[in-house]
Amino acid sequence: MKKTQKSIIKLENVWKIYEMGDVKVEALRGLSLDVKKHEFVAIKGPSGSGKSTAVNMVGCLDIPSTGKILLDGEDISLMGESDLAQIRGRKIGFVFQKFNLIPTLTAMENVMLPMVFQGTTAEDRQKRAKELLTMVELGDRIDHRPSELSGGQQQRVAIARSLANDPEVILADEPTGNLDSKTGKMVMFFLKKLHKTGKTIIMVTHDDKLAKHADRIEHLIDGKIEQKRKKRG
Amino acid sequence: MLLDYLRFALKNLRNRQLRSWLTVLGIVIGIASIVALITVSQGLENSIEEQFEKIGSNRIFISAAGGGDPTARSGLTQKDVDKLEKLPDLEWVTPYLIAAVPVKFGRESLNARISGVPSDDMDRRWGDLDLSLKEGRFLAEGEKSSTLIGIRVSDDMFEKDVRVNTNLKINDKKFKVIGIMDEIGNSDDDNMILVPIETARELAGTPDAVTMIEVVIKNPAEMDRVAQKIQRTLEKVRDEESFEVQTPEQILNQLGSILDIIQVVLVGIAAISLLVGGLGIMNSMYTNVLERTNEIGVMKSIGATNLDIMLMFVFESGVIGLVGGTIGAALGTLISKGVGVAAAAGGFSILKVKVSFGIIILGILFSIIVGILSGAMPARQASKLKPIDALRYD
Repeated sequence: MKKTQKSIIKLENVWKIYEMGDVKVEALRGLSLDVKKHEFVAIKGPSGSGKSTAVNMVGCLDIPSTGKILLDGEDISLMGESDLAQIRGRKIGFVFQKFNLIPTLTAMENVMLPMVFQGTTAEDRQKRAKELLTMVELGDRIDHRPSELSGGQQQRVAIARSLANDPEVILADEPTGNLDSKTGKMVMFFLKKLHKTGKTIIMVTHDDKLAKHADRIEHLIDGKIEQKRKKRG
Repeated sequence: MLLDYLRFALKNLRNRQLRSWLTVLGIVIGIASIVALITVSQGLENSIEEQFEKIGSNRIFISAAGGGDPTARSGLTQKDVDKLEKLPDLEWVTPYLIAAVPVKFGRESLNARISGVPSDDMDRRWGDLDLSLKEGRFLAEGEKSSTLIGIRVSDDMFEKDVRVNTNLKINDKKFKVIGIMDEIGNSDDDNMILVPIETARELAGTPDAVTMIEVVIKNPAEMDRVAQKIQRTLEKVRDEESFEVQTPEQILNQLGSILDIIQVVLVGIAAISLLVGGLGIMNSMYTNVLERTNEIGVMKSIGATNLDIMLMFVFESGVIGLVGGTIGAALGTLISKGVGVAAAAGGFSILKVKVSFGIIILGILFSIIVGILSGAMPARQASKLKPIDALRYD
């Protein structure tokens, strides 16, 4: 297992407190996590453990109430919304449980979308999108809309999209949650393939079998990482 | 990048076609009515001006105070005419007597307006006007039982066409039609039945009466001075409040300001319908934002900034405005053309509706602005959505 010492995402004592009327909900209670470049980390936890909130934090979709989040050394809690969106678009690729493709756009256009937001030229966008869709073995489906694709195919388009801007980190949130076990395996195959090409993969799941694919499993309980670590070599 | 947003906007609009077209329709109605109303009322203004240009800049009109019904008896009499004829600044002084009397042609009988005019020098009194005879001749001095008629009296007033050398019975007296005027373009003038003023007075039973006096001045540059002189001359013989001296310019200004008010009111009403159209866009865009909340969250998570989201939605409402404005301007132009055709058929061939590209372009631009403004608030709401909230939304 290759491992450098450089952190790509580092959470330091992150608290997230939601106020719902008079009630304060402490979704994260001092979460610390250090993901190094090229790692494959699984975050596992039962429902209610603050998993979704953790995904939002790791994915820089939200900023913590207290604590620090460093993305490639930069403190994101100090950034404005638009800078954050730009950085997210460049450095993190999302793979969602519900695929979350844009229904009105074709597979090709969906894959090009993150590049549109980064101002990539149309020519480069098309070239890259074709390459990526070919890589996930959907080269013959580029003009199909999501509704014309199976769940597994949609998730592969989503994986291609997550790679559009060549991000360092792929954040997969229950990537096989909406798929049957066979297509789920195929999706896992692609994620592992990405890991081999040097991407950092962070996968959030409740599924033990999936978590086993990772280099390292972190258990999230009650809004923080359980100290006992299970390492695989 | 902006082109991509435009393409996405078109895709999204196509994706909910029925709703998009209904929203567009709201704008079409508003822009069409504004364009049509402005075009028609500009045509009206132009034709009134044109009509007054025909009258010329050397005429002054004296009538009874308050304008009023032209068939009503005014306080003016032949004495006023005689008095004015003594002024050296005047080329011609032409009294008119207008009366409503029964007119019969063949077996058909109806009430019509006749105008009594001096029968001498008719061609010279009107020489500077753009009037011509279609057939026959003008009235001649000393003639009593002759009449000169407008084109619509000949063509439309009676079931059978009235021809030269046929007879009209006016108040049971026989009049020979000696001439027919060419089309003038307004129904008042084209429906005229001219008889010698002495005969008209006999028919109406009002010996000295004059409804209106038209004077032609020698030097058009002295219009205002001469108008004042006429005013003073008549004030000596009658109450100053019983008559009005008007120059074509004054009449034109009066008509113009009435027309302006009508235009403001009508265009105002049309603008309200455009406002409603704008609210339609806003409504549709809010629904749209709500429906695509999840999509907005996805786009934000893959790198869309607030501005990107805002632009996408504003482009959509802008396209609605553009399409609605283009169709609306085309429709409005067609409607105003139709009004022009209908007016010509109804006797107002002077109403020349001219299509103005300026108004069409303005209409379309205005519509785009309405689209963008109506979409701005929903778009802002969309752009302000937090990615985590938007992603959670189903």
